[in-house]
Amino acid sequence: MTELLQLRGISKRFGPVVACDAVDLTVREGEVHGLLGENGAGKSTLMNVLLGLTQRDAGTIIHRGKTVHVGGPRNAIGLGFGMVHQQLSLVEPLTVWENVILGDRGRVDRAKACADVEAVAARYGLPVDPLSRVDRLSAGERQRVELIKCLRRDPSVLVLDEPTSLLTEAESAELFAVLRRVVRAERRAVILISHRLAEITAATDRVTVLRRGRVVHTGRTAETTPPELARWMVGREVAVEAEAAALGVLVAPAQAAATTTAAPVLRVRDLRVLVGGTPRLDGLSLDVAPGEILGLYGVEGNGQDVLGDVLAGLVTPDGGTVEVGGQPIDLTRPGALHLAGVGVVPEDRRTALVLDMTVAENLAMKAPMSAFPNRRRMRAAAGRLVEEYGIAVPSLDAPARALSGGNQQRLVLARELSAAPRVLVAAQPTQGLDVGAIGDVHRRFQRVADQGVGVLLISTALEEVLALASRVAVISSGRIAGILPAEEATGERLGLLVGGA
Amino acid sequence: MIARLSLRSAAVGAALALSAALVAATGGSPAAALRALYQGSLADPTAWTATLLYVAPLLLVAAGACVSARSGMFNIGQEGQVLIGALAGAWVALRLAVGGPVLVVCVLVCAALAGGAWAGLSALMYRWRGVDVVVSTLLMTFVAQQVVAFAVTTPWLLQESRVGDAAVSAQSNRLPAGALLGSFGEYPGLAVNCGLVLAVVAAVLVAVALDRTRWGFRLTMLGRNEIAARHAGVRVARLGGAALAVSGGLAGLAGAVLLTSPVGANRLQPGMSVGVGWDGLLVALVARNRPLLALPVALLFGALRAGGGFLAATGVPPYLVDVVKALLVLAFVVVGRARDAGER
Repeated sequence: MTELLQLRGISKRFGPVVACDAVDLTVREGEVHGLLGENGAGKSTLMNVLLGLTQRDAGTIIHRGKTVHVGGPRNAIGLGFGMVHQQLSLVEPLTVWENVILGDRGRVDRAKACADVEAVAARYGLPVDPLSRVDRLSAGERQRVELIKCLRRDPSVLVLDEPTSLLTEAESAELFAVLRRVVRAERRAVILISHRLAEITAATDRVTVLRRGRVVHTGRTAETTPPELARWMVGREVAVEAEAAALGVLVAPAQAAATTTAAPVLRVRDLRVLVGGTPRLDGLSLDVAPGEILGLYGVEGNGQDVLGDVLAGLVTPDGGTVEVGGQPIDLTRPGALHLAGVGVVPEDRRTALVLDMTVAENLAMKAPMSAFPNRRRMRAAAGRLVEEYGIAVPSLDAPARALSGGNQQRLVLARELSAAPRVLVAAQPTQGLDVGAIGDVHRRFQRVADQGVGVLLISTALEEVLALASRVAVISSGRIAGILPAEEATGERLGLLVGGA
Repeated sequence: MIARLSLRSAAVGAALALSAALVAATGGSPAAALRALYQGSLADPTAWTATLLYVAPLLLVAAGACVSARSGMFNIGQEGQVLIGALAGAWVALRLAVGGPVLVVCVLVCAALAGGAWAGLSALMYRWRGVDVVVSTLLMTFVAQQVVAFAVTTPWLLQESRVGDAAVSAQSNRLPAGALLGSFGEYPGLAVNCGLVLAVVAAVLVAVALDRTRWGFRLTMLGRNEIAARHAGVRVARLGGAALAVSGGLAGLAGAVLLTSPVGANRLQPGMSVGVGWDGLLVALVARNRPLLALPVALLFGALRAGGGFLAATGVPPYLVDVVKALLVLAFVVVGRARDAGER
């Protein structure tokens, strides 16, 4: 088979972060090439470089033997590179055919566009009605529309970013069958970005594993095994006995719960959340004991953000219960979780702070407040917290917007912890922080856990989870795939759970 | 700060220069127009009286607009809420068998309740069907205009009673004396209508409520970051609805003041809101949603209104006042936006 696309020595850094470090990737004609890696491994950056969405710092792109210049997305389309992003980019109130021709130039010809859509749909076995409105379609159908949009331009290289995260099993199987046929018959190539090991093993011919911006493995998929891939992906040293234990890795949540001695301070049972008909949480259950840090690890998009929203009181679940200290919480009442003693450090700081209000006001936001709050007392309390938590502020009356990311995070922490919570839920608490701030946040977590607070740490950074947590729960497709004590949480076992193997 | 001030005066200066140019272009003399404006609004106690009669409803509307804008539920339907308030007030005054000072209190309270309920409809539409508040409050204004027109042309509702063979107009009977707001001072001296007292008190109360109470604190949170407000346990729908109702209530009160103070004919008439709802919104806009700042701004707008009536004598079309007003608002708003953009 001939080489269709070669990326040689692609490097890209964002400030101090090296996203891609001299990455080589070779894709052959007629193959489905898997690109495997954790969040932040550099997969998306690499593909953005290929698609002209990001300009590389170094490296060459060779297409059909010729060095090509990819200056921007139009260039990339012209060369025949197409991508279906994980976050579907469809305009919901528009119809299928309107979405498909979006970005075309010239006159809008509805009949021709519809015929086009139907032709592509028939050719690739992707049935969809060109006249239906996108917001009435299921997730699987929307995915098809994205594919049609891409395939209509006859791409030579098609990049699919986590294409099955919104699909059912049957829909994914169908999708991969179609892709194989297309790729073989028409001498194209597909780059499949995924973290699902089963998917990679089943659907790809060759696979490249990225970790921290470097290629750690590349080769024929048939010559590797899921445990090997998991180890490359997560990159932790594997314990000697772990290889043998790999098969019996699934620990049922009930079993794990039994190993916790103290009565759980946070008990989540059978939580279900449907978003647009797709289950984002699918019967999720977990317990957090007082004084423990439970790490919830998993790849982005498996429902951890939804769990965070539920525990922050932003989303009312479609089913399931949450108990704090043995008391069931009425999740429809605003602020009920907060009153019951659940502190929340949300993934997006901007949802916890009102950036246009002052530091003092932000610190007072969740504290009990009299009908006529005393400004002086509010500022005094804020002053104490600012000092205790070492928050660098220009002034207590400065808007929270004026603070650096690390100090905003300290502000949230200070507010949540000053309410003396029984449970602290923290989602990606160190995302975007510098090293000093990360250490600070970690020490705070350990201290509150020592004081008997149950901490639920939701994170996609394995290092963080392993550094802090005493137990690690792995979330996959909206449910807990397994819970491991920290000492047994090897990269391989976690990788298998994360991959849903 | 100084840069901002000079920028603002430059913008206002430009607006005034443009206005003068427009006056000249329509064949008038800018100096004469300015003199007429001054004479009609601030030159003597009588002129002041006329100005202050307009200030009261403008300030009430503006104070309400501050509340809704602070909560992020942007109400722009004050014109309609003013009319509905006046309608309710007129109905109470003409149909309720209450006498004496109790009557005027009833008129004011019912007008406020009606205005609040009218705005509350938009809050309900938003909550149940997700109808955009800006759009629904605006459109409800046109509904309100039709409702008032219907009321004053329907004999069993509020149309004036036939006296002898005289033709009846589309208006209500004149309100009884007991339903009218009194004034301090008398012509030709300065007369301050109770409506102004009411408006100033309302503006001060709104300022206190917004900046010194838990309610105002939560309202600010809601307006600046709804998700954070929900995080903090704020009942978003209820609070936002309340803010909308309060702003509508103050607009309804402005309608009652228009109805019961000597600014109009003391009758319910279809055009009686005379754009006070729109202008009050502009007052709040220029005052950057601060009720106390709205006081001087309302005075300026009231003066332009009162003085506008005197323009006709100079041969300048009176609607030019509206153009001047618009230019001034644009000058203030453009400067505000430019500053915000600079900070970002």
